[in-house]
Parts: sequence; C-alpha cells; structure tokens
Amino acid sequence: MADEGRVHPDCRNAGNPYHECSEYCFRIIANAKKQMSTNETGAPSPGVTQATDSCVQPNPVASVDQGKNPEDEIHEFEDHQNVDNENGVEENVEEDFTKLTGKKKKLFELRLKMNEARKANQTAMVAEKKRMEAPQESRGISKQKWLDGRKKKIGKILDANGLDMAKAYMLDTQQMAEGKYKKWEKEPAPFGWDVFNEKALYDAYKKRTKNIEVDVEEYNKLKEADPEFYREASSLQYGKAPKISEDKIDKMVKELKDRDEKRKSFSRRRKFHDEKDIDSINDRNEHFNKKIERAFGRYTLEIKNNLERGTALPD
Amino acid sequence: MVSYLTRKEIEVKLPRPTRVKNKTAAPIQITAEQILREARKLQEAEIRPRPRQKITDPAELADYRLRKRYEYEVRRARLNKSAWVKYAKWEASQKDFNRARSVWERALDVDYGDHAMWLKYADFEMKNKFVNHARNVWNRAVTLLPRVDQLWYKYIHMEEILGNVGGARQIFERWMSWEPGQRAWLSYIKFELRYDEIERARAIFERLVVCQPKVSAWIRFAKFEVKNGEIGRARGCYERAIDKFAADEEEAETLFVAFAEFEEKCRETERARCIYKFALDHIPRGQAEHLYRMFVGFEKRHGDREGIEDAIVGRTTFQYEYEEVDAVIIFVGARRGGKSVSKADFNFGFWYGDPEAAISSW
Repeated sequence: MADEGRVHPDCRNAGNPYHECSEYCFRIIANAKKQMSTNETGAPSPGVTQATDSCVQPNPVASVDQGKNPEDEIHEFEDHQNVDNENGVEENVEEDFTKLTGKKKKLFELRLKMNEARKANQTAMVAEKKRMEAPQESRGISKQKWLDGRKKKIGKILDANGLDMAKAYMLDTQQMAEGKYKKWEKEPAPFGWDVFNEKALYDAYKKRTKNIEVDVEEYNKLKEADPEFYREASSLQYGKAPKISEDKIDKMVKELKDRDEKRKSFSRRRKFHDEKDIDSINDRNEHFNKKIERAFGRYTLEIKNNLERGTALPD
Repeated sequence: MVSYLTRKEIEVKLPRPTRVKNKTAAPIQITAEQILREARKLQEAEIRPRPRQKITDPAELADYRLRKRYEYEVRRARLNKSAWVKYAKWEASQKDFNRARSVWERALDVDYGDHAMWLKYADFEMKNKFVNHARNVWNRAVTLLPRVDQLWYKYIHMEEILGNVGGARQIFERWMSWEPGQRAWLSYIKFELRYDEIERARAIFERLVVCQPKVSAWIRFAKFEVKNGEIGRARGCYERAIDKFAADEEEAETLFVAFAEFEEKCRETERARCIYKFALDHIPRGQAEHLYRMFVGFEKRHGDREGIEDAIVGRTTFQYEYEEVDAVIIFVGARRGGKSVSKADFNFGFWYGDPEAAISSW
C-alpha cells in the first residue's frame, strides 16, 4: 500500500492506507509548519489549535472513513488560508470584532458554523468507529472476550470428541443440565382476574414507589412540626389534612398520567394478515370468528382440514 | 265497470324443472371464500364521517349538553357499568364536576362492591386535583372494601406522593389492624425503611411474625437484621423461630436450611454443621431431600474428606432407601435363610461396583 503512492509522514491523512499525497497535501503541510513556527513566537490563535486538531484527529479515524470527502477538504483548505490571514492580522481582527458589518459578520458566522459542523462530524466519526470495534477493556477481561475464549476451549474439546458446535450441550454434566432445565420450569402466567393476585399488586406498588423522592430534610421538618407523627390508626389527626403544596399535587397528577400511558401499552394491536383467507362477511363477523377460533380452534382443526380437502381421512 | 283479474291473467308460467343431465363439475368453479370476499366488498361502507356540528355560542353548547345528558340518562341501563363510567367521564370532560360527582355516586349506588368503580372515581378526583374530595372517596372505599388491597395501596401511595407521611403511616396502621397478607406488611416495612426508621421497622416485623406465624416471615425478619448488620439479633430470630417450629416438620426444613446458610455466611462452620445434623435427625426422610443436598454442598465447601464421604454416603443411602430398597431387604433375608437383615448388613460397595467385596462379605 505504501508503495503505490508516496505519503508524506506529516500529512494529516497519513494514517489512511489509501491516501496518496498530492500538491494539495504538500501545501497544507507547508501551511501547518508555518503555523507551528508562528505559534512559538506569536500568541496562540484559535486557528492553530484547529490546525493541530485536524492534523491529529484524522489518523485514528482514517481506517473507517476513506479520507475526508472533497467538500470537507476544501473547507479546511479555506480555513487554513483564512487562519493564515488571521494570524497575520490578529490585532485587526480584535478590533474588527465589534464593528463587523454585513459581509464580514456573515463570513465570521459562517466560519463558526463550519467549525461546529466539523467538530460534530469528527465526534460522530469517532463514535462510529468505537461502535464498530470492540471497546477497550477498562478492567479485567470484557465479557465478549471471555465468551470468545470459552468458545475456543469448548471448540477444542468438541473437536477432540468429534462433535460440532451445535452439539455443544453434549459436554454438560448432569448437574449443569439440571440447572438448565430448571430455567424452563416456569410457573404459568396468571390468567384472567388472577392478574391482580397479591404478588402482582405488591410488585406494581413497589414499582410505583420508585417514583417517590425521599426528601430527608422535609421529612425531619414534618417530624418536628407534627406532635403525632407516629400516629395510631384511630388518631383524630386523620381529619386534619395538612397543607399540600401545588407542585406536589402536580407531581401526583403527572404520575397518574404516566400510569395511564403504561396501561395503554398493556395489550398491543395485532398485525393484520391480509393474505389470510376471509371467512366473514362483516367486521363483527370477523371479530366473532377470531373469538371462536381462539376457543375452539384446536378441536376443529381436523374437521376444517377435511372440509378443505373435500373428503375425510380414514382414521 | 269493475274488472277483476281472472285466474288466467294472474297465473305465472314457470318452466318445469328439468332433470340434470350433465353431472360433471363446471369448468369455472367458485370457492366459498371467493363468495365471502365478494360479499364483504359489497358491504356498504359505514356511514362516515358522521355529521359534525360546529358549536358556536353558549346557547348551542347548552343545547348540546342537554341533549347528550338526556341521551345518557335515558339510554344507560342501570347495570351497565361501562355506560355509567362513560357518562361520568363525559361530564368530567365538560368540566362540570358536580354533575360528574353525582353520576359517580349514583353509579356506586348501583353496586358499591365494585372496586374498579371506586378506583375510577378516586382517579377522577385526583386527576382534577381535588385532593380532599379524593381523600373522602378513598376513605369510604377503604372502609367499605377493606379486603381489596389495591384500594389501600393506591390510597397510601397518594398520601405519600403528596408528602403527607404521617397520614400515610396512619393509613398503614389502619390497614394492619385488618391483618392483611404478608406482602402488605412488607410494603409497610419498606415504607418505614424508605425514611430510615429502623426501630419502627423492627417493631412492625415483630407484629408480623405474630400475625403471620410462617417460616417465611421469620426468615425475612432475620434477613432484615443481617442487612442492618445486627448478627446477634438475627441469630436470636432464628433461634426463636426454631422454638416455634420444632413441632412442625414441613416448614422447619426451609428454616433449618436458611439458618445453616446464615451461620455459614458468618463463618461459623461448626454451628452450621450442628444445625444440619440436628435437622437431619429431626426431619423425617420424606421431606429432607433439599436439606440433604444443601448439607452435601456445605460439606464439600467446608468439610474434611471423611465428612464429605459420610455426607454423600448418607445421602445416597437415603436415596436408595427411600426409593427402592424394601424388596431387596426381603430378597436378602430369604437368601440368608430367613435371618433378619439390618441395614448395616448392606455393603454399599456392591452398588458402587465392587461385587466381589460385597459377595464375600455375605
């Protein structure tokens, strides 16, 4: 790859294996070098950091993105040119800042936008690259790597026994197998009104309590204010309702509305299969047919098949 | 001059039904499904959209409401709950809350035992921010239907979310006086723990184990103490529980297992071993399957070789004894000339694949 075209080591696209340096690249490298030298002498200007950023960033990303698209490059080229100019006339820029009129102001705003866009593009590219590759392990071995390692080990044993990956379960001991069978044994889901059994109600309440924000200070304040804070069931304090602030009431209303939303998603709308045979003359008829299919479908399947065929099977 | 129609003129000449000559199937067949499809297509579309009126001034609005109300009042059947609910919700949408309340009250008149209606009524009050009205509704609901947990849960949740913690506590106390199920007690304890009231939680646990004298309650109590780091109290709980459940065999097994696991966690292996052995002695073989398994696991983790072997042999002995061995006893007894056979005579080396040793021992 390196033989195909000469790549200047300082070129910002050097990391890209498909890149070949051209006149344009050399010009940019020259500009960058000039800025480096001015950086040592003059005050650092924003343009320099941009230049160095753009020098550094493409390298890790180059393998994913095969070089910047021409538009971007042209923008950067302009940027570099402008940066050069700015560097030369730094003080003038400072003065002009406040009195930027019409075109200059527009130009400035455009430049800002371009920079923003460039930064956003860069971050998006880096994020995509991260997503494509595996993340670095922060501590220990990542789960993915561990799984891969295990697969290799199992693979070796399987090969030794002449099995293939699909039959990997043959390697389980009886205890491991029992453990796996246990997962299959689930209690049947509650049916009908049993959906509101004790456990389900408790779990639902527990979920709702997660919305409660415990404010310790307020709690302590209430404790001091109220002599009967730990009151009995029959206390007469019941009649006296404390003053409730508006935002608490709003919170309650909001929570109720959230619960309503959740309830709506309890049963989903089923897909309409329009390739299925029509056996109804009506929407009501269709609904009715669905219901009786649910109830009797299992038992009438044979009869239906016989009717479709035209003759019954001799069984 | 009146002329009547004569018979001849009225008579309609129908062709005489002829006999079918060709009985083969027609070349173009039609399926039942096709007929149905055509029938469906021929259905006239339902009349949509219905004529919509634009209401322009208050008089028209009043008229519309009057008409709607009249419809609702006349058309709803007394027992049709959903009609009542729709009516009430419509009044609420018209922002006429007093009428809505009257509708709800009449609906509840029909059937006060319908907890869903109470829930909807309270929901209506809460959504429209009438907190004191809501409280009244909840209070009535909970007084009339004290065994419906949902009502209690929702009432308490409302008070808690409004920040009235003392009120919520009072409602919990009322509920607990009805001695509800274990989960209700647990929700009370969790409520106290949310505000870090550990002493009160402990007191409630004490009441719970009196009200629901089940092993699971005791185990939860002990686990709560462990969570708070009170190992001594946890041990005390387990010991008290064992006193209470010494007689009862079924539940005691879970209790012993839990206790032994707790001791293991506290790294008191000797105590754990004692507990296992005690349990194995006291629980009849039939129910001790789980216990044996846990004991074997425990010995593998903490015991020495002999201990492990004893445990495993004991367990396998138990398995074989429990499962099939009576017939074998009879057989061996016969072989030995009718002498009585005890279990000690069995050399389980036989079962483990060493027949020579077994036979020679006989």
